[in-house]
Amino acid sequence: MCLFAGCSKPAPEAPPPPAAPPYHPVASIREVMNSVIDPNVDVVWNAVKTVIDHGKPTEHAPANDEEWAAVRHSALTVSEGANLLMMPGRAVAPPGAGSLSPGIELAPDQVRALIDKSPSGWNQFARALQESLQPALAAIDKKDPQALFEAGDKIDEVCESCHQVFWYPEQGASASAASAQAR
Amino acid sequence: MKTKFFLVLLVTGALCAVQSAHAHHAFAAEYDPTKPLTLNGVVTKMEWANPHGWIYMDTKEKNGSVKHWTIETAAPSQLSRHGLKKADFVDGMTAVVKGYQGKTDPALANGRTLVLKDGRSFYIGSVGGPNDGAEPR
Repeated sequence: MCLFAGCSKPAPEAPPPPAAPPYHPVASIREVMNSVIDPNVDVVWNAVKTVIDHGKPTEHAPANDEEWAAVRHSALTVSEGANLLMMPGRAVAPPGAGSLSPGIELAPDQVRALIDKSPSGWNQFARALQESLQPALAAIDKKDPQALFEAGDKIDEVCESCHQVFWYPEQGASASAASAQAR
Repeated sequence: MKTKFFLVLLVTGALCAVQSAHAHHAFAAEYDPTKPLTLNGVVTKMEWANPHGWIYMDTKEKNGSVKHWTIETAAPSQLSRHGLKKADFVDGMTAVVKGYQGKTDPALANGRTLVLKDGRSFYIGSVGGPNDGAEPR
């Protein structure tokens, strides 16, 4: 038992400032999309489809363990790619790059402003992308082409929803106005 | 060695083609909302695939030549929701597609409606297209 004030515990020191994260983003969001997300989600989407040529349907699906493993590889890459999108400090596009479609798709600084305005919204979409891959991974593990096909549709919904908020929020309205003028 | 190199080139080329065909972009970045079109022809092929379906159609030009169109549609789940089935794509089928022309490829279109020979009409438009009244309410 301690009866003297001098015996009391010293006041805790202020916690040290958080260390700088060990990671360092190299690619921009646009580059992560083009190099990591897009090519790999294409593998997931293309894994199962039906091609009807002159009325004759041909079903396409992974045919062996190796092909299923390749699709799983891509599905995992997209899942982890979603984490890359959430990493703070990543530029939207390489220095000096502009909009890919001026007047239709936002310029990088406009996308940056939207992300900074709602970082939680941005992260929610990235998490939704990651979660949308879970049914695809489950379908792959069961080697179930129909379930993988249905999962692909949900992945696309998440992609499009995010793009409509952060990449081309006005495009539906501008396309409608242009088509109305053309009619 | 030469064969291996050729195979790598072939696979890379195929991957690039897939990427360009499926890369997500705004509707108006790829298609011209001021260029509506009506295509009347023979459907030769349909790709029932995510994230978009693709209809391949041959139309006869005024000079007698045949033009091969590639027409983007909504995702298969959307097509099914509007009543279209894979079994509707029979050999030699004629159809009318209304949509919008591609900006850079004059043989590319984004379909809005598909009318079959038996008169059945389907909404086939992708998400984000113009609000032109084609989409059923």
